[in-house]
Amino acid sequence: MKKFGRGLATIMFGFGYGEGFPDHSIASIEIKEDERIVIRTAAADVGQGVITTVIQIAAEILRINPNYFEVVQGDTHKTKNSGSTSATRQTYFTGNAVKKAAEDLLANLYHYGSLEFRSNHPEIAIEDGKIYMYDDPDDYISYWEMAERVRERGKKLEAEGSFFPVTYSPDQNGQADKVYVAYTFLSQVIDIEIDTDTGTIDLLDVYTAVDLGKAINPKNVEGQIEGGTVQGLGMGMMEDQVIRNGKTLNAGMTDYLVPTSVDIPKFKHYLVEEEDSEGPFGAKGVGEPTLIAAAPALANAVYDAIGVRFFDLPISPSKIKKALKEKEKEENS
Amino acid sequence: MTDQNKRIKDYFCKHTTRCTIEGVKKSKRFVGHDVLKADAWDKVTGEAVYPDDIFFDDLLYVKIKRAVHPHAILKDIDISQAKKVNGVVDIVIAEDIPDVRQFGLIIRDQPVLIAPGEKMRYMGDPLAIVVAETKEAAKKARDLIKVKVEELEVITDPFRAMEDDAPDIHPDGNIVITHHLNRGDVDEAFKNSAIVEENRYQTQFIDQLPMQNEAGVALYDERRGVVNIWAATQWLHDTQADVAQSLRLSKDQIRIIQPTIGGAFGKKEDVSVHIHLAIAAMRTGRPVKLCFTREESMITQSKRHPITIINKTGVDRDGYLTAWETKFIGDTGAYASSGPAVVHKGMYHATGPYNCPNLRGVSHAVYTNNTYAGAMRGFGTAQGAFAYEQQMDILAEKLSIDPAEFRLKNIYQKDSITPNGQQLTHSVNAEETIKRVMELSDWKGGRK
Repeated sequence: MKKFGRGLATIMFGFGYGEGFPDHSIASIEIKEDERIVIRTAAADVGQGVITTVIQIAAEILRINPNYFEVVQGDTHKTKNSGSTSATRQTYFTGNAVKKAAEDLLANLYHYGSLEFRSNHPEIAIEDGKIYMYDDPDDYISYWEMAERVRERGKKLEAEGSFFPVTYSPDQNGQADKVYVAYTFLSQVIDIEIDTDTGTIDLLDVYTAVDLGKAINPKNVEGQIEGGTVQGLGMGMMEDQVIRNGKTLNAGMTDYLVPTSVDIPKFKHYLVEEEDSEGPFGAKGVGEPTLIAAAPALANAVYDAIGVRFFDLPISPSKIKKALKEKEKEENS
Repeated sequence: MTDQNKRIKDYFCKHTTRCTIEGVKKSKRFVGHDVLKADAWDKVTGEAVYPDDIFFDDLLYVKIKRAVHPHAILKDIDISQAKKVNGVVDIVIAEDIPDVRQFGLIIRDQPVLIAPGEKMRYMGDPLAIVVAETKEAAKKARDLIKVKVEELEVITDPFRAMEDDAPDIHPDGNIVITHHLNRGDVDEAFKNSAIVEENRYQTQFIDQLPMQNEAGVALYDERRGVVNIWAATQWLHDTQADVAQSLRLSKDQIRIIQPTIGGAFGKKEDVSVHIHLAIAAMRTGRPVKLCFTREESMITQSKRHPITIINKTGVDRDGYLTAWETKFIGDTGAYASSGPAVVHKGMYHATGPYNCPNLRGVSHAVYTNNTYAGAMRGFGTAQGAFAYEQQMDILAEKLSIDPAEFRLKNIYQKDSITPNGQQLTHSVNAEETIKRVMELSDWKGGRK
């Protein structure tokens, strides 16, 4: 028999290292004469898309199409420390560092522009890679020409930005004024169907609402929600590295089960974008929060479906079958 | 990518990413738009360079001989047969590298190689570095290394590890760290609660399972005195610093270049291939490559912590949380890795996003002889949420309230106080996420 169940979970996640641990990111941006804008950051792109995120932020500030950007990342001898890609921190930390660098660079475009045009900042327009006086758009200097002119002045058209917010280390009672820079909140409803004969869970629909301040790239956020949720559902219903007497019994992908494309449910989501955090354009991190609600929402859905609570993970078909048998016995006795 | 005409400089220059976008070309705004991922094209066409794509003509291959028992003293290691294998260039054991120091993320408790007289603490502990002309020769030689050990009690459970008569896995004892959380008067609040619900939750070992296993290439530039390492890490400069201190080199002498990273999820925070590659490159003077198999990756590198969570939660007649007591006991396996931080971050999030004035918590990260546990997406809070969100549903049922309504009653607002005593001064839209998800799912008291 198939039994329908629905579960809800709401979670929070304080992101960044927090707890008074030094947490910062340094980035630089340079406008080159050969029509490239180079961003240097050590932020590791592990697939989440930080490269794209920082390009979008810099493009927005520098008012030029993302096509012109190049990101040099991941070389200790070419980049300064950006902190780790972990703790859901890169959009917030490196995003802010790149934004600051871009703002400084924009200020430099105004500065050198005002020198070249013998004018003041308010009279100068900067957009689409061009610097000109508002009253004469045809007489412009491109960013690339400006890079050349700045070089002739013996300087580079570049800027460095860093972001280093303060948090405090909790005392012996775990208390402090500011332990994490900010929190991401997420609520998720998961619909499932349990086959009471086999104990298997069919994942039907997942509804997610996430308080993320601002989605720099909504498509990438959607990717995080779907990927994170599926990874959390793996935790909820199948993943288990079995270590007995110190030895792993299922070291390989034949015996270690993870969700595959046949397990994936349908997704609908809503982004709460209040733009009210201190991240770039109000953004908060979403990497980890997207995983966290899945296992508890699933556990609550399982209870809703069959009236059994599971206190240990994963909630596997064999555990479900065993629990249903015990429940039947109890009801009959 | 098997173009073998590449030179070293190509591998230095390769890691830049040119952004290509479709659809937003005419836009003046770029934030908030679906700009195509900058590295998508390289990844789908196979242009992206991963460590195993890096090739040099005189490349050598590395394999690691690992522990033969989860908890044992190494009595003797015999590499004489292994050395005779055709194609073997070097076999490094602990006595060859006496000056090398231990490494580790929070506590430097991980040895680079186990020496005779020292202990292996889990199945991933390294005993020897084998370097050969081919992968096959390296593997064959690795399997011919003979090891004698004195077996010790294998501690598989953190509760056993915490007992007085359990053998110490590390010299300072098995409890790596203890943290506390205290706010308000928990005992008094429980007394005055209408319902008190206590449950014990247990989570499991999980592998982060990035598609790409740990892999890397290293090349020693003797003229500059710099070891170049092409290998993934989630925190470039911190890995550089740890590798440098372990090898007693300056930071400038370790250059880490990130090839394309095929996923991480926390597993690539720890040092994996880096130090062994550097040693092999410096000793042989030739480029060296080390790629873990999936089996090796699962046994050797960090896991998500299994955490035992005991939650006692009180609520008053009106459905408001009164007190919360929590205990987090995390099995961090043979080495600390991120464990001390994972377990207390989990505890700091123990109540979820709900107002609760009285709190008491304790967390321990405990050594065992299991594969060590470290960082994984969620970092202790995923385990915590499995526990606190079931507590919420159980209490809602006992109170006969819709679980969504129960959450809305208790949900954080601006100026709410977290378990750490942090006042939430901005960006607190937790309530809206509940309302939106109710709308989106057509929530009707928990039923469809």
